[in-house]
Amino acid sequence: MATLASPAVPATGPGVETARSRIRIDRVGKRFATDAPDAPPVLGEVSIDVRENEFVVLLGRSGCGKTTLLNIVAGLEAPTSGEVRVDDEVVTRPGRGKGVVFQQGALFPWLTAAENVAFAAKSRGLPSAERGAIAGELLALVGLAGAEAKYPFELSGGMQQRVAIARALALDPHILLMDEPFGALDELTRIEMQNELLRVWAARRKTVVFVTHSIWEALVLADRVIVLAARPGRIVLDRAIALPRPRARTDADVLRLYESIWGALQ
Amino acid sequence: MSVIPDTVAVARASARTRAARDWRDLVYPAVAIAVLLAAWQGASVAGWLRPVQFPPPTRLATSFVELVTEGYPEGIALFTHVAITLQRILLGYAIAVALAVPLGLVVGRSPALDALTDPVASFARSIATLSLLPLAVVWFGTGEAAKVFLIGYGCFWVMFSNVVAAVKSVDPTLVQAARTMDVAGTALFRQVVLPAALPRIFSGARVALGVGFMVIVGAEMIGTIRGLGALIMEARTFYRTDITMVGMAVIGVLGFAIAWGLERLEAKWLPWQARESRRGA
Amino acid sequence: MKVSRKALGIAGAAGVLVAWELSARFLWRDAQVLPSPTQAIASAASVLTFRELAEHVGASLWRIAAGFALGAAAGTLLGVASGWYVPLARFVRPFVEILRPIPPLAWIPIAIVWFGIGEASKVFVIFLGAFFPIFTNAWRGMRSIPPVLLAAARTMDVDGPALLFKVAIPAALPDISTGLRVGFGLSFGILVAAELIAAERGMGFLVMNSRMLGQLGVAVFAILLIGVVTLVADGALAFGLKKLLGPRGAR
Repeated sequence: MATLASPAVPATGPGVETARSRIRIDRVGKRFATDAPDAPPVLGEVSIDVRENEFVVLLGRSGCGKTTLLNIVAGLEAPTSGEVRVDDEVVTRPGRGKGVVFQQGALFPWLTAAENVAFAAKSRGLPSAERGAIAGELLALVGLAGAEAKYPFELSGGMQQRVAIARALALDPHILLMDEPFGALDELTRIEMQNELLRVWAARRKTVVFVTHSIWEALVLADRVIVLAARPGRIVLDRAIALPRPRARTDADVLRLYESIWGALQ
Repeated sequence: MSVIPDTVAVARASARTRAARDWRDLVYPAVAIAVLLAAWQGASVAGWLRPVQFPPPTRLATSFVELVTEGYPEGIALFTHVAITLQRILLGYAIAVALAVPLGLVVGRSPALDALTDPVASFARSIATLSLLPLAVVWFGTGEAAKVFLIGYGCFWVMFSNVVAAVKSVDPTLVQAARTMDVAGTALFRQVVLPAALPRIFSGARVALGVGFMVIVGAEMIGTIRGLGALIMEARTFYRTDITMVGMAVIGVLGFAIAWGLERLEAKWLPWQARESRRGA
Repeated sequence: MKVSRKALGIAGAAGVLVAWELSARFLWRDAQVLPSPTQAIASAASVLTFRELAEHVGASLWRIAAGFALGAAAGTLLGVASGWYVPLARFVRPFVEILRPIPPLAWIPIAIVWFGIGEASKVFVIFLGAFFPIFTNAWRGMRSIPPVLLAAARTMDVDGPALLFKVAIPAALPDISTGLRVGFGLSFGILVAAELIAAERGMGFLVMNSRMLGQLGVAVFAILLIGVVTLVADGALAFGLKKLLGPRGAR
């Protein structure tokens, strides 16, 4: 039985929803100061429009610039050329409703799980009592009820990433940016976490940009897969996946998509 | 079903070897120390060891009692020596920490300030603290202030370097994560940089305390008769090697107790630190 | 970036020297309270020949070399052996752990009782200062070798002494070298203290003797000299260890 036991999530491919760009990546280029002048830039001229509540996966090999692109959208790095707009506002700095989940969680080790989530809620200016309630609610949402008082070092890698997701949600962001959030997890935990993410996403609709180098992960999660190639970082494939979730790896359509993405990666 | 009893048996066996190892870890050292003490005592009784060089353990015990009750030199009891030494250390240490932590935090956050101060700081750390003794005496006289200055100097540079290194080694993704939550400026510093740097600041505090302890013993050997360093030096001058040895033991116990106390404090204040990571630091 | 960092460092050091020079000459104006750097060098030049200076530095370096070499040899040997052979650790470590909290300087009086006031007592105290950190780091390095490394070697039929010398000791080398650096730094601090208290040659003696003679400038010069010699010696040791360890030594 190869069907992944993920909860049913309706597809929101192109045309399903009224198209409105939430994130507009407009001819973004990036060149590092340390690069040789004649070397190709890490990002050439990349343009992507992400619609409201769309789940976009950026896929590519190491060094294709996908993390750099995500950091630019997050406002953690500045583009060398072009610009990123979120809700028609140019991104110049991090924060302001852009939740980010990092590869290694980046949880604050001196705060408990609940305190980590509350930390994010605090930056929204919520009063202390409300923060605690939100932390409890979000930890329950990611399946961590009962782990509120645990410190990150007492949690497994998968549980840490659940806290990281809850923390990003506590910002009540419009968009969620995820940089290989499950990259350091083992295969089984990873599949579990993908299902969890879809479940959470079904409960709290967000615009998601998700970076990975796993084709399967992209196929299971995405409304739309964008494949990047390296030096200069550029889009080589932009494919909507209108298949209903949960998606089985053995499904003929999924396999066909796998082949075409694999081809684009060569 | 057969799997379960096996697992239990294995678990029991491993619990047994663990217990067995604990047992040997305690008994072997105890036996080794007992044998050494007995041999020392025996050799002294037999006249193979000169009492001036190796006073026998029983003699050390009575000297300890003498030191506690009558004191050495006469009238200055052990408690006084300990109190004076502790007071000097704590004062110098507290001043050093109070100065080094804020300065180190500021310098560690600024690459320019770090570059500017780095060579000066490493040079200042390279100067053996006790060599400053003549200057300290000229500036502060022969009293307490000079000793506190020396301890403060030694502790300050060690502490400062550790605080700078602690701030520089804060995981940049933690800072990034905080920025995605709209935390910046002094709030970022207080809520993220400082707690992230605390474990290393604490390990610096432990090293600095060791330095302070070393400096005070040396500083007390010159020009004073009160304090543990003075005690062991003075006793040597009058061939009271027994008192010197007891004094050394007291210094060792005191150093151990202070280090232990600091570790307890760290465990209490930094509960998120896994035990082994604290050990490894 | 690298060049400007270096330039800033030089600027910082120069700034401190200039500020010291100016404040000593124009603010304090008393070389018996705060001699300026140039005054310190001048007064040293007036009472010391280069030959005498070299003798003092040489005497100090010889003591360090002897004490540190003994401490490094004993610390590494015992540390590695007790890290490798657990029963030995059960006998060695209790003594080390009991004696370790006693600062090496506290051994000076007893060293004088045992070895007299000559060279041997100073070498002994320096030996102790070097021994403890070197032993502890070597022992810890041996205990923290990843077991999978030893298991991998065994699958290649490496066992017994070969396992110790070809696998375990190389794996523990970074820790051993950390211990050597720490022990070396400690040796210098102890050396000066030992020379302050009882010596008739060496850099620490120079500091103390200048104080007795009321030549504060010479004392300041000697203090700065101690700093320079320490930095240079530590740099030399670091360089040697880096050569020995290759890129693994960079930590």
